Amino acid sequence: MRLRTDDDIYRARLVYLGPPGYTLPVHLPYAQYGLFMLLVPLYMFIHWLLTLQVELFPAWEISLAIVTTSFIFRYVDPDRPARMVIRTALTDWRRTREPAAELRDPRLVASRIRIREELA
Amino acid sequence: MSRSSTPGSPAGRPAGPHGNRARSFDYPQDEEADEVVLDPALATSPGHGRVGVFQPPRPATPRASGPEQRVPTAGDSPDIDSPFLDLFGGAQPGTRRPAARPAGPPAPVEPTPVIAPPRRGVGRDALPIPHQHAAPAESRPASHEVEPPAARRRESGTGVRPVGRTREAAEVTRGPSPAVEPPALDPAPAGRPRVPQQPGDRLPVLRPTAEPEPADPEPPLERPARHGGRRADETARPEPREVATAPTRELAPPRQRSAQRSGRPIKPVRPPKIKFGDRDPAVELAITEIAGHLTFTPNTVTAWYWLPEVRWAFRPDAEREALLSAISEQYAGLAGFRLHLRRTTRPFPADEWARTVDAHTASPLPDVPGTPGWADHLVAAQRHLMAVNHAEGQTYLGVTFARRSLGDSLAERLLRTFGRGTADGERRRLGRTVEQFDEVLGAFGMRGRRVTAQELEWLLYRSVALCMAPPGVLSPVTDGRWERGDLLALTEQVERYRTPYGSTVKLVNRMTGEERHVAVLAVGRMEPLEIPERHEPWLHFHERLPWPMELSTRVDILGPGDSFRNLEHRLRMIRSQQLDYAEHGIDAPPELERLAKRALVIGDEMTTGLPVDSARAHGWHRIAVGGRTREECLERARRLIQLYSRELRISLQHPKNQDWLAREFIPGEPIANTGYVRRMPVNLLAAALPQAASTVGDRRGDLIGRTAGTCRRPVFLDLHFPMEVRERSGLAVFVAEPGGGKSTLLGALGYLAARRGVQVTLLDPSGPLARLCAMPELAPYSRVLNLTGSDQGTLAPYALIPTPLRSEFSTGSAGDREFEIAVSNARAERRMLVQDICMMLVPPQVAREASTATLFRHAVRQVPAEEKSTLDDVVACLQGLDDDTGRELANLLLDTAEMPLAMLFFGRPPEGLLGADAALTVITMAGLRLPDLKIEREYWSAEESLALPMLHTAHRLAVRRCYGGSMSSRKLVGLDEAHFMEGWRSGRSFLVRLARDSRKWNLAALVASQNPKDILGLDVQNLVSTVFVGRIAEDSEIASEALRLLRVPVDDGYEATLASLSQADSGSAARLGFREFVMRDVDGRVQKVRVDVSYVDGLLEHLDTTPAAVAQAAGQLPTLADLEA
Repeated sequence: MRLRTDDDIYRARLVYLGPPGYTLPVHLPYAQYGLFMLLVPLYMFIHWLLTLQVELFPAWEISLAIVTTSFIFRYVDPDRPARMVIRTALTDWRRTREPAAELRDPRLVASRIRIREELA
Repeated sequence: MSRSSTPGSPAGRPAGPHGNRARSFDYPQDEEADEVVLDPALATSPGHGRVGVFQPPRPATPRASGPEQRVPTAGDSPDIDSPFLDLFGGAQPGTRRPAARPAGPPAPVEPTPVIAPPRRGVGRDALPIPHQHAAPAESRPASHEVEPPAARRRESGTGVRPVGRTREAAEVTRGPSPAVEPPALDPAPAGRPRVPQQPGDRLPVLRPTAEPEPADPEPPLERPARHGGRRADETARPEPREVATAPTRELAPPRQRSAQRSGRPIKPVRPPKIKFGDRDPAVELAITEIAGHLTFTPNTVTAWYWLPEVRWAFRPDAEREALLSAISEQYAGLAGFRLHLRRTTRPFPADEWARTVDAHTASPLPDVPGTPGWADHLVAAQRHLMAVNHAEGQTYLGVTFARRSLGDSLAERLLRTFGRGTADGERRRLGRTVEQFDEVLGAFGMRGRRVTAQELEWLLYRSVALCMAPPGVLSPVTDGRWERGDLLALTEQVERYRTPYGSTVKLVNRMTGEERHVAVLAVGRMEPLEIPERHEPWLHFHERLPWPMELSTRVDILGPGDSFRNLEHRLRMIRSQQLDYAEHGIDAPPELERLAKRALVIGDEMTTGLPVDSARAHGWHRIAVGGRTREECLERARRLIQLYSRELRISLQHPKNQDWLAREFIPGEPIANTGYVRRMPVNLLAAALPQAASTVGDRRGDLIGRTAGTCRRPVFLDLHFPMEVRERSGLAVFVAEPGGGKSTLLGALGYLAARRGVQVTLLDPSGPLARLCAMPELAPYSRVLNLTGSDQGTLAPYALIPTPLRSEFSTGSAGDREFEIAVSNARAERRMLVQDICMMLVPPQVAREASTATLFRHAVRQVPAEEKSTLDDVVACLQGLDDDTGRELANLLLDTAEMPLAMLFFGRPPEGLLGADAALTVITMAGLRLPDLKIEREYWSAEESLALPMLHTAHRLAVRRCYGGSMSSRKLVGLDEAHFMEGWRSGRSFLVRLARDSRKWNLAALVASQNPKDILGLDVQNLVSTVFVGRIAEDSEIASEALRLLRVPVDDGYEATLASLSQADSGSAARLGFREFVMRDVDGRVQKVRVDVSYVDGLLEHLDTTPAAVAQAAGQLPTLADLEA
């Protein structure tokens, strides 16, 4: 039997071409715009925390969000969604190379599990 | 905790001396330095996770003078890998055990099933195996009675077994193989003279050790098992310490020293105080309860099933497809549920096997002084098994099936506080629900059965301690006495370390100090696979690699509705993207159209096809690879990735966040991340088939090698298993081209059987097997019979067929009748054989004439067909005829009789030619020139044509010997060059009779031939129980005949498999060190097998038939002439 996955259908690259009537010069995936739109308010909030005022045109925030988005999407592929890249980045943000020191994870302990031989 | 005693930052500290550091540096140390000694009770796995070695009881070693002393000391047995060795400062001889150890012989509290009780009584006594924990030697698993070792040893003077298993003390002392009797066993190597010691002078040495004697060099190692008793809460508190703490211990209060060992400069050690208030971060698993085969987490319930192994190799494709489609239907039947498919491994229980072999060996060959005895032989085999690292797979399937209601969760939480767990009502309700899964999974295909709570515990332990050695005592399951919950308690000992962006997770078992690095790989992009035809099952494939791996697959099974909706959504997105492109006036990438079309086709299949076609499995597939070091682990991961990408075109990915991924293997834990989700039809999931296996052979015979196909399993073969258990014939057939290893395998099987006390007769016309008789352990019990130099009448055809005895048949008239039939059958067979022999003796031109056959038949009819008749009678009868042709025939026969070899056929056989006494008899015909059967008989030389009747009669002679002893005793006959039997009536009747008699006489008959056609032509393949087919590359016709013999489908591409057996690497100049066969066992399982008997010391050297090796061995190995003497 010839067996194949359905993955390629899910691997189709869906990009935003621009509003009707105007084609953007760069075509980026929809997800990238989504992330960008989440990041801008986040940076604005951080900016507000620091300065306690809101800019009318958040130029810095937008540029930072663009940079961050492109950094994140450098690691994104159909098998590795942005969610996972961000999470890995958040848990392991300290270094980019493998450090010598190890972090101790909590032990996973099963000893409090209750055991019955029979179901009922 | 204050860490004052360990100054400096972790980085500033010197690294631990060994890799198996018990703890990492940032682990808090205990303050009390003098309590560092670990509690023996804590080392729950004395063998440090290894499987034990079973050693049959054997004579006492006089050297070992007491149970304490027999224990290996840390210093002189370097192969003990214990993290605790460091504790005692490199095992100083003066190191002492804790002073507070109770005096007197310690009661073994925890029995370890590793060493068998001296079943055969006094004759054999258990010796500790070096690398395993020695203390079990003194504890007896079955009974808690403790015999004072001294008493046991004294008894050993009186041998119970007359066979000679009681070895002389002196023989044991010499230590035949250093691997088996390690120096560690010797408590005082320097002072003791290496002379045999009498029991008398042994005793004084013994007695003092019964008390805790101060000077007694007490190895630290033995203690774990002595204390044995696992205290439930204390188990969790091991204090394995690093060397760094040792100096601190010296500062212990001196009162300890004075208390018992006055004035000795020895570190006093208090019994470890168990305090384990450790604030280590620990989280509990999501699972809160195991009930029967269900596991409960706060929100879900999972029903677990055990999937038995299925045979995959050498099955017809139709069968495989039927299996796969049955499994995919089962998966489709589980639509709507989330599945967790887990495969873990269990190390092969070598000791269990050895115990079985020993139990089935009533009287092994008596040990010869100075050679490895039966016990050593078994130990060597077990070591070999462990070194090769065979692991048996275990596949579990969990069906997560219920979102529990809020009431259930609350009730459980409430009841848990009272220690009651889930409510009865909920469990009863679930019990009814899960019956539907039994129905779906129990059918043909997966044939799953419910797991037991113990198996779930095992799975949980193996998942938490991913890729780590399993707790030693459990793996030989026979009587690993794990109480409920013990295994789960052991999970507390497993520490986890991770590095940011690390590619492995480090797991440390702080009880044994074992350190493992685990890399979890995710199944990435997959190309189309053709599963039964071209590719192996894709989750079985990893078993090609020689180390055990773990699998975890989490999939959601989507039914037709869900999967169609999912797909349609995707299709709409693609279409809208295409529209977008059109709107913007840009060319859409062509892949969009292609993908949209494919989505349409799949959607069509889904809506119109069966539920099996439409069900989809969306999920994550992971493989965990472990290694002792990070480098090893990554190297293994690299090889695995390479293997998958080359052979299956599956790209395995090595993602970050390894700690999460490793956690995903644990049942009930959340999915690590959403990367690498694979969406596939259930057919493809079914074709993953992680439960595929390739076992072959029985589990009670000798170790002959391992399977070499898609996974590695040890292969055991007991040639008497078909007769004794399966009630089948004992005919085994070996087919291979010359050089395929037939003779070597035959010899090896003969050797192994002889070791087990089977009466072995090997017929080897060309003679190299005669060297087996020179092996020191066999030499006193073996004998070589060279037919070319034998007396007249040795091969007298009439005497070769035994007359049945009345006692072989049942009493009564029915028995009488059977007996008469058997007697007349024997007569008829004799006549047939004599006619055939006469035909072979006369020139072929004469034999072809019709009158010759008539005359021979006439003459043979005249001569009474009894054992005492001779060929001379036939000649006389022919001479007495008043027919010229008859007299001419008689003269022709007499002519041949002039040749020295032909003299064997004439006259009466000498008395006592083949006594039943020798355990191994090798019949050879050195110097005989075997003709080429492809050449017409007319062109054979006189000598060559004589070889034909000689081989025929020699085969009969070899078998004749087996009819001497008792019917039920085990016998083995190995017949090489059986292809000379083809084309003769008596040849077929011989094989048929052999197959038929093999059951009655408990006779294993091995027949080796170059051409399977001989066996097929004789039409006895239905009587054949075991088949070995070696390399057949030259002739595709022979290959398909061989496949027919194996009952493997012909023209399915398996001919290529036969041709690729034992294939030498053309790049290497070295000789091929192994031979491969395709083996079919009595149960019809077929598998590629790599024969490996290298664990028997010297066997391969003696069996080597290649010219170079023979020439090289000429100096050391005896020649045939020596052997005959």
